[in-house]
Amino acid sequence: MLTVAIAKGGLLKDSIRLLQSIGLDFSAFLESGNRQLQIIDPNHRARALLVRNSDVPVYVEYGQAQLGIVGYDVLRETSANVSQLVDLRFGHCRMSVAVKANSGYRSPIELPLHGRVASKFVHCAREYFQNLDLPVEIVPLYGSVELGPITGMSEAIVDLVATGNTLRENGLIEIDVLFQSTARLIAHPLSYRLNTYGLHSYVEEIREKVKPLVESR
Amino acid sequence: MYQPPIGGRDLLPLDVAQKRWIEDRLQQVFDGWGYHRIITSTLERLDTLMAGGAIQRSTVLQLHNLDDEVLGLRPELTASIARTAVTRMAGATFPQRLYYNANVFRRAQEGSHSRQQEFYQAGVELLGGGGLLADAEILLLTIECLNNLGLRSWSLLLGEAGLTRSLLSVFPSGLQEKVRMAIAHLDRLTLESLPLSEDLRDRALLLMDLRGKPADVIQKVSTLDLNATQQETVDNLKSLIDLLQDSLSLRSDQSFALPIVLDLSIIRTFDYYTGIVFEVISGPDSGQKVLGQGGRYDQLLGQFHPQGQSIPGIGFSLQIEHLHQVLLQMGQLPTQAPPSDWLVVAASPQAYAIAFAHAQKLRADPGQVELDLSGGDREAIQAYARSRRIAQIAWVGVDGIPTIETLGEE
Repeated sequence: MLTVAIAKGGLLKDSIRLLQSIGLDFSAFLESGNRQLQIIDPNHRARALLVRNSDVPVYVEYGQAQLGIVGYDVLRETSANVSQLVDLRFGHCRMSVAVKANSGYRSPIELPLHGRVASKFVHCAREYFQNLDLPVEIVPLYGSVELGPITGMSEAIVDLVATGNTLRENGLIEIDVLFQSTARLIAHPLSYRLNTYGLHSYVEEIREKVKPLVESR
Repeated sequence: MYQPPIGGRDLLPLDVAQKRWIEDRLQQVFDGWGYHRIITSTLERLDTLMAGGAIQRSTVLQLHNLDDEVLGLRPELTASIARTAVTRMAGATFPQRLYYNANVFRRAQEGSHSRQQEFYQAGVELLGGGGLLADAEILLLTIECLNNLGLRSWSLLLGEAGLTRSLLSVFPSGLQEKVRMAIAHLDRLTLESLPLSEDLRDRALLLMDLRGKPADVIQKVSTLDLNATQQETVDNLKSLIDLLQDSLSLRSDQSFALPIVLDLSIIRTFDYYTGIVFEVISGPDSGQKVLGQGGRYDQLLGQFHPQGQSIPGIGFSLQIEHLHQVLLQMGQLPTQAPPSDWLVVAASPQAYAIAFAHAQKLRADPGQVELDLSGGDREAIQAYARSRRIAQIAWVGVDGIPTIETLGEE
């Protein structure tokens, strides 16, 4: 049975709405008190797995899920071997470099040599500073990265920014954007090649659903 | 405690029995088709391994010899076989039909989840055979291997590296590599974002999805303005698929739908293939593993030939570990190491020589015969034999006349 991996958290509602629009109903995941990790849609056409953001590309790379919905930031960070098929145009955010507003740094190249950068996205951060040819120490953190500059542990952070409220409230400002991110429809490459469980028709339906949004802009 | 190196793996008797079950069936097929086994060196010079352009230095486990020459543990066999075929076997008549069954090594890559470093492969190389007939032989041989293993659910992805490469040549040279990478990774979003004209973008998207039922794909590719060489390649592909289908239908009464997906987007980021390329993939129930892959490499042997003479070649390799996993899941493999047929027990030290002699006589039958080393009491020996699933015990005394005891199932 066709299996779709979907991410807990910010993308969940939009992901479920999108799948509902092509006739796959996994809204049970949204019910309060839901503890199910997998659901089969009422018409028995497909199964959904509810997994952590960064686990979506893993299930898809290994082919346990043929399709997945996940943010581009996660794809960049994990460089998973998955096929990126459709920009779903929700979950807008950006990967940014931020510093303390009163630090005086206004561009990443002003950061001190061998300075410290705290991030949950160590691969993205490392690649970015390597491309700038700026040697820095990347400090991996798993949450509340903003505390890095506040406590003085790091000069800067690389983190995902949606509205910028969290940064502002903590006295940080963005000084550069690494890339923009949105949710993506991804596929297991071999399943895509072999059209396993007829996944092409689902991909095309999703592409059609997303398209009018673009044209109306 | 001493532990195996990370990525190393020991095969215990049952693992070996299962591996041999697979290898025996493959070798039966290879032998039947007139292929001869070749054993090449596990260690090769790094430049040999990399000569074809398909192997990156970072994937090879490297060693240094006394002269500080860089050596590598082979990550595949084709380079080694190409090297030996054009140097050691110079003067041999072609075609050469060779097969191998060997271990290969890959250095664990950063970002890869698998730490396994040693793998087993069985495969063939058909050297000096070009054209339709050799292509068909290799594909039919692959299919025969799968049949002989009892694999029922699989698909064959068939591509044409030469054709795909030539279809990519319409893209501006500055972007060709990006288009190639994006198509290799099925990365549609990157293709859509490249600065290409609308026509070229549509062409790129068409190439990325140029796969499906062979007849449909051939029709689709024929709508592109193909040059004479490309058209000839497409015609050859069509003949190949027809030939495969006809050959398989002649063998069985019921019509057999060949599970082939023609995929003209198959292009690897590194390879030496010049003609057909293919992958065998297990069914979705067994995780769609790549069971084997192969293709035609008409330039590779020239890389190794002292005068640069090019000799066509085609081959494939099967991944024994992946076959093992799929067959185990299907319940095809033996679940226990084969037991001995006999346990020979000497009644007293004076009967040792007689016991050895009797065991030897039983082995001639032929059978697997082991000697009791314990000298323990009768019940303990019977319990041992039962636990090892040995069917019969021969109790041997000094008189030389054995008493046969047949152990029933518990």
